[in-house]
Amino acid sequence: MVLYNLAFYFFSLITLASASVVVFSKNIVHSAFALLFTFFGVAGLYVLMMADFLAITQILIYIGGIMVLILFGVMLTNRTIDVQIRTGSIQTFPAMLIVAALAGTLVGIFWSTDWKISPTAIGFEKTAPEIGKMLLTNYLLPFEIASIVLLVALIGAAMIARREKKA
Amino acid sequence: MVEQTLHSLSQFLPETTLTITFCISILAGLILRNKPKVIPVISFAGILLATVFAVRQMGSSQAVFSGMIVVDPFAVFFKLLVGSTAVIIFLFSIYSQEVQSTLKRLVEYSSLLVAMTLGMFLMAGAVNLLMMVLAIELTSLSSYILAGYTKEAPDSSEASLKYIIYGALSTGLMLYGISILFGLTGATDVYAINRSLAATSVNSVALLIAVLLIIAGFGYKISAVPFHFWTPDVYEGAPITITAFLSVASKAAGFAMLIRFFKISFIDFNLLAAHAGGVWGLLQGFEWNKILAILSVLTMTLGNLVAVWQNNLKRLLAYSSIAHAGYMLMGVVVLNDKGLAAVLVYFMVYLFMNLGAFYVVMLVANKVGSEDIDSYKGLGYRSPFISVAMVVFFISLAGLPPTAGFIGKLFLFAALLDARWVWLAVVGALNSVVSLYYYVRVVRNMFLRDPEGSTEPIRFSFPQMAILLLLLVPTLLFGLFYSPIVELANASVLMFGVR
Repeated sequence: MVLYNLAFYFFSLITLASASVVVFSKNIVHSAFALLFTFFGVAGLYVLMMADFLAITQILIYIGGIMVLILFGVMLTNRTIDVQIRTGSIQTFPAMLIVAALAGTLVGIFWSTDWKISPTAIGFEKTAPEIGKMLLTNYLLPFEIASIVLLVALIGAAMIARREKKA
Repeated sequence: MVEQTLHSLSQFLPETTLTITFCISILAGLILRNKPKVIPVISFAGILLATVFAVRQMGSSQAVFSGMIVVDPFAVFFKLLVGSTAVIIFLFSIYSQEVQSTLKRLVEYSSLLVAMTLGMFLMAGAVNLLMMVLAIELTSLSSYILAGYTKEAPDSSEASLKYIIYGALSTGLMLYGISILFGLTGATDVYAINRSLAATSVNSVALLIAVLLIIAGFGYKISAVPFHFWTPDVYEGAPITITAFLSVASKAAGFAMLIRFFKISFIDFNLLAAHAGGVWGLLQGFEWNKILAILSVLTMTLGNLVAVWQNNLKRLLAYSSIAHAGYMLMGVVVLNDKGLAAVLVYFMVYLFMNLGAFYVVMLVANKVGSEDIDSYKGLGYRSPFISVAMVVFFISLAGLPPTAGFIGKLFLFAALLDARWVWLAVVGALNSVVSLYYYVRVVRNMFLRDPEGSTEPIRFSFPQMAILLLLLVPTLLFGLFYSPIVELANASVLMFGVR
């Protein structure tokens, strides 16, 4: 169990630390690379939650596919490497108050709530067949609608990015 | 399982039709590259067909696709509302210069409108939080793209970008809220959430935070204050046909989900059975309606007060639509079937009057080239018919008799007073007075000011007038003969699984 806890804290640390770099870095290339570690950390957390299929998918699709695409996008876009992202902070004090209050409340409720926990303990089992069955039975509709959502996103991206000849 | 899925498919005809239309529109756009004008006709026919199929679902009440969505009178009502709005928007598009000047992108325009309609149809029926989020995303993604459709215009791109950023934020907040709610109840199905809340008591602060976060998602869709910041910029920057569609259909779909979520998740079914008249008792002693009441007051007051200062008609109508979302929230606050029926009546009325107002703005902008309030000076002399129509729509939006808007407000206030929400009714009435001021400002410019510059009469073609009449006649007619819409609303408050 100690090992499990250690692994959990290790992956959480990777996720949180790299996520902060993504947000706070002023260099967009650094942000993009840090995102790689965020995805990796989340994949590790999935493994700890016995979600083997999800973890593999996360690595294959997010790190292998999406991340590489993002990096390509960043690198190939003109003048992003040397451009400093303009950021500034306004209303620091009120924002701090609100953030502190919200964070306090959230931590408080996470600490004190009796979360609904599955009565049976989940062991390491293959999840892929079960997920496959669910996707084609109970979750058939969301599964199919997701494909339309992606198609819309593709068409939209193509429409916005397409260069048009001046008439 | 196979039989179940096949049965579900047979109850899914409107949505299937839309999906197929979406695919055909794209494919036809690739094949008929030289005839882009054919595509909107295909899309139009598909949406019309889907709406007809939705009519045939009337009276049905069942859950399909393993309880992901339901087909019930409430969902069918909103499908009809969204479907008819989409049909009218396609008619608008024929005469929209913004749309017709970009023929190359007509395929994307019409196919994405179909996709957005599909998203809204799903929003109307979704009873699983997962399905709700997906439906919202489908609707939102299509609308982000369409808001930036005229990408040559800088304010259109700006509108699209602002829309995406606010949309992503609110979806994120909503998903976070859903994750907390899932942790508390162990369910994403709203009926299961209800059962879980009825069986065991949960940490009330956690529940409050979760629901507030979920409200952020719904509030964004219906542009309720304080989640409204995107509305004016998007409404101003987007092509006017899209603005009109968002202001009616997107809001309607958002309301459908909001009402269904609150009613089914938090209603006490035992109390409901005990009381006649469809009074909703709430589980765990939470008075969600107080939160909604505050939201409603903020929304209508801010919408109306800021609208007073607007000089661009699109912005003015944007703030006015925020205010109308506030009025309709009043009906939800009442938490009984009477209030809900009032909301449905209001939506039917709102469809005609709001689309009408946007249509007139579009026609005038086509001829005058501006949406500024100053360009309406003396319009009453240059184009009397269209100006009189605008006056009718504005009187209706302000809620004065003998127009349909009056009937909408009447039923809302009656429901409020019936449930002893007197202070809220008073706030609503005061707000209507404020709204009268900015509507009348436009009317004054049209009739009591002399034209600036050109004084030549503006003429419109016969089909353009016919579309205007299509919206004008119901706005007047429903003000006098309102029993059909009231009966339809009363029949449509029924939801699957309630009673």
